[in-house]
Amino acid sequence: METIITKLNEIFNVRPKILRDRQITVEVDKNRVSSMLLYLKNQMGFIHLNHISCVDWIEEGQFELVYIVWRPEDKTTVLVKTRIDRENPEMENIDTIWDQAHTYEREIREMFGIEFPGLKAPREFILEGWEGPPPMRRDFDTRKYAMETYETRPGREDAQNVREYITKRTGEKVPDFAKKYSRD
Amino acid sequence: MSDTKDIRIITRPTKEQIEQAKIDFAPRCTSAGRVNDKETQKTVEFILNFARKHSLFLLAYGTGCGAIEIPATLTSRYDAERLGIRGAATPRQADVLMITGYLSVKTLKRVIRVYEQMQDPKYVVAFGSCTINGGMYFDSYNTIKALDRYIPVDVYIAGCMPRPEAVLKGFAKLQEMIQNGNAGNGECYRKNLDWYRANQRKVIKNWDFPDEYNW
Ligand code: SF4
Repeated sequence: METIITKLNEIFNVRPKILRDRQITVEVDKNRVSSMLLYLKNQMGFIHLNHISCVDWIEEGQFELVYIVWRPEDKTTVLVKTRIDRENPEMENIDTIWDQAHTYEREIREMFGIEFPGLKAPREFILEGWEGPPPMRRDFDTRKYAMETYETRPGREDAQNVREYITKRTGEKVPDFAKKYSRD
Repeated sequence: MSDTKDIRIITRPTKEQIEQAKIDFAPRCTSAGRVNDKETQKTVEFILNFARKHSLFLLAYGTGCGAIEIPATLTSRYDAERLGIRGAATPRQADVLMITGYLSVKTLKRVIRVYEQMQDPKYVVAFGSCTINGGMYFDSYNTIKALDRYIPVDVYIAGCMPRPEAVLKGFAKLQEMIQNGNAGNGECYRKNLDWYRANQRKVIKNWDFPDEYNW
């Protein structure tokens, strides 16, 4: 653990943090992601890419990409995080480093609309013939889209906003940004 | 084989030619089942429906969560085979199409293809509240909310998910409908194809199948 932290600090001038036992998280600039992943893979033995996930930080106008890599010897996980701009999002393609990255990148491309130039097969992934906006973005109004697109059977109009109902009953305080992007 | 009219020449794959008596299937096919007298027709219908309702070959289209109840229904605990319900291997051999939950748009495309491949008489049993009004996926961006807008449905079984008893009750209802001659919507689907197609086109934008599907 300590060697990983000092090495990454020396080479990339970043501040890795220990998340919990055998988990390290490190934030890095968008341009240095692939070199850091290559370093982790070739020099430190993190040979397995677990997942690439994406978080929509709509308040800050950014997407966060999280690359999760794993080392089999001591079962250590490193989460490499990077922020990219929400307007015309574009990210470096890493399917040359790990083949399986191709699948995750295609999924992120479809669900969040992030482009990966140089992707092996940049075609649709799960949604066939999808014409709406990328559905996993937080400003995509799922309910409105569903009501407009699909025919519904009458009789469900009295369905209440469960979230509101629960907060009222428990007296929980909802932060303003959450209210803004909640359903109603 | 004295009369040449009743003889045909057949070329075998080995180029050898053989003579064979002509077999004319057509008259037998058209004459069978053509009953003009009303009473006899009723009796024939009764017997046909009786036979149909006791041999339901099931094509379980296992979408959604409800597929997990099908093994329980078909195996020894509830033993649906005592009612004549058993699995079929392909759509062309099946009588009943069973849809066991929510359908995404992508799956709906396959279901329509399967339904159109089935032979008449064909019945559709929809299973779970997702097929009725969307269930807990009523606000999902990618699942349809009412199945009978896209293909005709004979029996809905409510529940999320329905237990095998409910499934058997649904099949009992279907059998009753078959005996009364109310079930089987293949005809209705063909007659109202425009309406169904229009609804299907509203949600399915891309009708092409990936290459590996096009057999
Ligand atoms: S009705 Fe319930 S059990 Fe059935 S598919 Fe929908 S959510 Fe799943």
